[in-house]
Amino acid sequence: MTTSPRKRSLLGKVLRRNELWSEMDEEMRQHVELEAEELVRQGVPPAEARQQARLAFGAPDAWREEAWGARVPRWLEESARDLRYAIRSLRRSPTFTTMAVLCVALGIGVTTTIFGVVNGLLLRPLPFPHPDRLVVLYATQPAQDTHGVNISRPDFDDWQRANHTFQDMGMFSWSTMTFTGTGAEPERVEAADVTANLFSVLGVEPALGRGFAKGEDAIGAPRVVLISWGLWQRRFAGDRGVLGRSVMVDGQPATVIGVMPPRFAFPERGLAWQPLRRDPVNDLPSNRFYAGAIGRLRPGVTIEAAQSDIKRVSLDLQRARPADNLGWEAEVIPLREDIVGKLRRPLLVFLAAVGAVLLVACANVANLSLVRAAGRARELALRASLGAGRGRVMRQLLAESLVIAAAGALLGGAFTVIGLRLAGRAFPDDVPFYFSLVVDRNVLVFVTLLTVATAALFGLLPAWRAGHQRLSPALRDGTAGSGEGREKNRARSTLVIAEIALSLVLMTGAGLLVRSYLALMSTDLGFDRDGIVSFRVTLPQTTYGEKPKRVIFFDQLFARLRGLPGVEVVGSGQGTPFSGWNVEGGISIDGLPLQPGEERIAHYQIVTPQFFRAMGVPLLRGRPFGDADRDPAAPNVLVNESFARRFLNGRDPLGYRVKVGEPDGEDPWAPIVGVVADYRHYRLPQPMQPAVYFPYGAWPSSTQTVVLRSRLADPLSLVPAVRQAVRELDADVPIYRVETFEQAIARTLWRQRLQGQALAAFAVLALLLAAVGLYGVVSYSVAQRRREIGVRVALGATRAQVVGVVLGQGAALVMRGIVVGLVAALLLSRPLAALLYEVRATDPLTYAVVPVVLGLVALLATAVPALLAARLAPQAALRAE
Amino acid sequence: MTKHDERTAGGRADLLQGSLDLLILKSLVREPLHGWGISKRIRQLSEDVLQVNQGSLYPALYRLEERGWIAPEWGVSPEGRRAKLYRLTDDGMRQLEAGREGWRLFAGAVERVLAST
Repeated sequence: MTTSPRKRSLLGKVLRRNELWSEMDEEMRQHVELEAEELVRQGVPPAEARQQARLAFGAPDAWREEAWGARVPRWLEESARDLRYAIRSLRRSPTFTTMAVLCVALGIGVTTTIFGVVNGLLLRPLPFPHPDRLVVLYATQPAQDTHGVNISRPDFDDWQRANHTFQDMGMFSWSTMTFTGTGAEPERVEAADVTANLFSVLGVEPALGRGFAKGEDAIGAPRVVLISWGLWQRRFAGDRGVLGRSVMVDGQPATVIGVMPPRFAFPERGLAWQPLRRDPVNDLPSNRFYAGAIGRLRPGVTIEAAQSDIKRVSLDLQRARPADNLGWEAEVIPLREDIVGKLRRPLLVFLAAVGAVLLVACANVANLSLVRAAGRARELALRASLGAGRGRVMRQLLAESLVIAAAGALLGGAFTVIGLRLAGRAFPDDVPFYFSLVVDRNVLVFVTLLTVATAALFGLLPAWRAGHQRLSPALRDGTAGSGEGREKNRARSTLVIAEIALSLVLMTGAGLLVRSYLALMSTDLGFDRDGIVSFRVTLPQTTYGEKPKRVIFFDQLFARLRGLPGVEVVGSGQGTPFSGWNVEGGISIDGLPLQPGEERIAHYQIVTPQFFRAMGVPLLRGRPFGDADRDPAAPNVLVNESFARRFLNGRDPLGYRVKVGEPDGEDPWAPIVGVVADYRHYRLPQPMQPAVYFPYGAWPSSTQTVVLRSRLADPLSLVPAVRQAVRELDADVPIYRVETFEQAIARTLWRQRLQGQALAAFAVLALLLAAVGLYGVVSYSVAQRRREIGVRVALGATRAQVVGVVLGQGAALVMRGIVVGLVAALLLSRPLAALLYEVRATDPLTYAVVPVVLGLVALLATAVPALLAARLAPQAALRAE
Repeated sequence: MTKHDERTAGGRADLLQGSLDLLILKSLVREPLHGWGISKRIRQLSEDVLQVNQGSLYPALYRLEERGWIAPEWGVSPEGRRAKLYRLTDDGMRQLEAGREGWRLFAGAVERVLAST
């Protein structure tokens, strides 16, 4: 004896049904044969023996049914039968099936795509061990409502030392690194200076070599660098020999100690890392401007607990050094929140929008199904009266809905795979490595649930109706479709009204976001965006450590660039608008001491004499910098309008003197010699801050952004000549961030543009679906009323009158839809308010234009069946019945 | 009425609910059999007293197969044909023992009740 064999799965049995059935057939046939042979052996004549054997066995069909029932539960068998029947039935109406499947595919496709994005950004764990324990730490001044401020090194050291809730915390400072040598072009990459423990706080180990060791951040320690996998592949051809080798970084040798794993970048797009060195000059408690921190909570510690723990430490620090820390605390933000905080709301708005598209698609399919059910009223009534029973008929219709939904989901799923790729392109510089937009288990579960929900949404109403129609009239009536009454028309009309209302809501949302984006785009930027190309240059510290050398380099570069054909003005600042170069610091004004609690933080910028002319920013008072402004001991400065308004109460700034930092600091007092107009420097829609401009000649920095104003239609055509000019001066100096101002503006507004575009696309989809639905309902009702229309025409109604009747019917639906939609839009647009700029959620223009557009499209959808109705010849119409 | 019925008329017993399973299991103890062989074995063992309705054998066979008490295997029948044979599994053997106990209890009880009058 052996143990029982592995049982076949239910699904396997259902799928192999035919095979198993013929097996049973064969078995029973043999049985009867053997029985007959036995009878023959007992002396019965062969013909009679076969007859007797068959009788003794009974009806094989019945036994087979019963035997099969022993194998597969009845409900499953019946469901399989319903599905087979549904597929057969849908094949018989290919037009309906195609339309319905396409509608569902569209709805499920967009919904699943957006869910995939939500999943990738908000649901999937970040690719670090225990990512829920990772937090970002910021400085904050609760009294001033100032949040998200970077931190100072002494504060960080004290938080790290005195907290009880963190397993560890690491600190980093944004930087860039230039790799030279190895025979390749110099390459500038985004980078970071990190504390030795930062990557172990994140839980990421180098793929090759080792991470930073304690003490490698000490002053004077040998220089070491970690590089990203991509940089290793690109610049060092994936050569393992690079480990331990010395490479030129920022003009100085540094030893490559390790390569981080593929795809890893930090922060955001940093590709190379060196230890964050202690620096007696910058490591001051009040210098909160250059570093960020990431912490890992101890297991089981909540954000709130960490927050109150770190607050306790902050309060201790306020007592210990009030001059630097009074009013300052730390805030703890979950890492994911820090990364996706701003994207959460638009994503949820998108999800709601595609949900609305799906609802419109469902309404459409429900409508199509109702029309089809009307055409099949006789068939269904017949089936019901032949004993199929109401439940049975309803089940069959639901099975059809499920088949349609499943087919739509398959098609929509294919769309999702493409859609997620497209969604990835929406990010300005590719998807950050810690997100992956993929079809994973979450997405599959979502699409499965969505399929069932969709089938229920569009299938329940027609199925219930079909199951509950009165049988006799449907059977008695000779004509298909006349067995259904006013009630069903009302159901279809309600669905169309809902579709129109939903479309209107979406269109309104899209209208608001597009208007808001246009408002941002047409913001008075305060500079002239056309004809400008800008790029950044960083001089290596080793060769250009002395200031005069920098001045000589840039003077020569500017002279060469001025000589290029088409170039009008060459200027330079440290950072151009929207570049993220947002350096701010305290400023003192001579004769205007700070009141208690008052602060003067200004935007700092080091500019050349021609900078504002190149930007197209007007000088309002005084004089620009000249070539004579080169003495760091007796410098002059320019300020902007906001400076005068905010710090001087609108008084004329000329004649005031300012100083970097505290009034008793070592820097010299610098007289204000001119005032320039405000221009937008910070990411829109943030306003300009008070700003102080220092002459490049006096403080030549090693990183400058060069602004070229040209007469050329395509300023980017200058780039090869620019590269050539830089190379001729020094082949080891990289240029990077080459872009026109148009590109810079587009980059800074990508989120707003995406919001407008995405919602507009969803609104167009919904509108098209609603138009199709409206067209379907009106033309179906025209077909129903052919006899009536024929009679009218026979009695002398003009074509115009016929058209009028049909249009009137459509208009009644559209008007109701618009009214419902307007009310819903007013209620639902409130969550959008936070995404809007200079446009209110109740923007009258949007609310006026959207219904008109929708009305026009609806008119078009109604006009076609109306005109067809008018062309109906009365005889044909009467004969048709 | 078939010829079997005529020949055994008067001495024939209808099968009690559930006893068919027991008979099938018992008929397979010695060797694997195909469907017809099972019905014949039951007839033989009961000396033609017990008549298995031949078609009703099959739902019972599949039910037992689903429960894992018997296992199908393709083999060669005593008549020399390729046929689906059923084999008693270990589970089936245990079930037969349990069923036999149950049956004896039941039959004894019925006998006692009937004898009491």
